[in-house]
Amino acid sequence: MIYEWLKALHVAAVLCWSGGLLVAAVTVAAYATKAEAAGAAIIEIVGRWDRRVTTPAMLVVWGAGLALAMQGQWFGSLWLTIKLGIVVALSALHGVLAGMLRRLARSEAPTPHWLSHMPPLIVGCAAAIAVLVVVKPF
Amino acid sequence: MTMSQHRAEQLSQLKWMRAISLIEGSTLLLLVLVAVPLKHFAGFAVATRIMGPIHGLAFLAYIWLLIQLVAGGGWSRPEIARLAIAAFIPFGGFVNARVLARREMLLATP
Repeated sequence: MIYEWLKALHVAAVLCWSGGLLVAAVTVAAYATKAEAAGAAIIEIVGRWDRRVTTPAMLVVWGAGLALAMQGQWFGSLWLTIKLGIVVALSALHGVLAGMLRRLARSEAPTPHWLSHMPPLIVGCAAAIAVLVVVKPF
Repeated sequence: MTMSQHRAEQLSQLKWMRAISLIEGSTLLLLVLVAVPLKHFAGFAVATRIMGPIHGLAFLAYIWLLIQLVAGGGWSRPEIARLAIAAFIPFGGFVNARVLARREMLLATP
C-alpha cells in the first residue's frame, strides 16, 4: 500500500521536476542562441520557479525514488543502475541551469553555446527513463 | 530585481551551502572515525550501513550545490578546486564552511 503511495508521489514529483527542468533549459537555450531573446523578467520568474518548485521537486524525486528502490528491492537491477546514471546526469544539468539562471539574473554574462542543445537532450533522457522503468528491458 | 535582492539571494545560497558543507564534513567524520572502527573492531557492521548512505546523500547535496555555485560564476578556479577537493578529506567540510563564511561576510559588507 505504502509502495503505491510512494510511487504516486515519485511520479508527481518527476512531472514537476521534468517540466521545470525543460522550462529552465529552454530559457537558458534562448539566451545562448540570442542574447536578447529572454527578457530580465522571464529570467527572474523562471529562476524563482526553479528555486521554489523545481529544486524541491528534484529532492522529492530522489527521496521517494530511493525509498521505492529499497522497498521494492530493485537495487542491483541493470535497468535501475542505468536509470540512476541518467538521473544523476539530469540532476547535474539542473545544477548548471540553476546556476546559469542566477548568473543571467545578475549580469549580461555570455551563455555557453552548448547549453542551447539541452532541451532535446532532456526529452531524450525522459524517454529513455520511461522505457527503462516501464519495459524494464534489462 | 534590485541589487540588494540579488545580494540577499546570493547570501541565502551561501548559507545553504555552508550548512550542507558542515553536515557533509560531520557525517564524513562520523563515518571514518566512528562507524568504520565500530565495524572493524567491534563487529557492528550496521554502523557503516547507516552512516554510509547518510554521508553519501550529504555528499551528493554538497556536490549539487557546488555545481550550481560554479555555474553561477564569481569564483576563481583555485577556489572551486579547493571547495571540491576538501569535500573528500576529513575536516575539509569545516575548512569549506570557513571559506564560505568569509565570502558571506564580504557580500554582507556594503
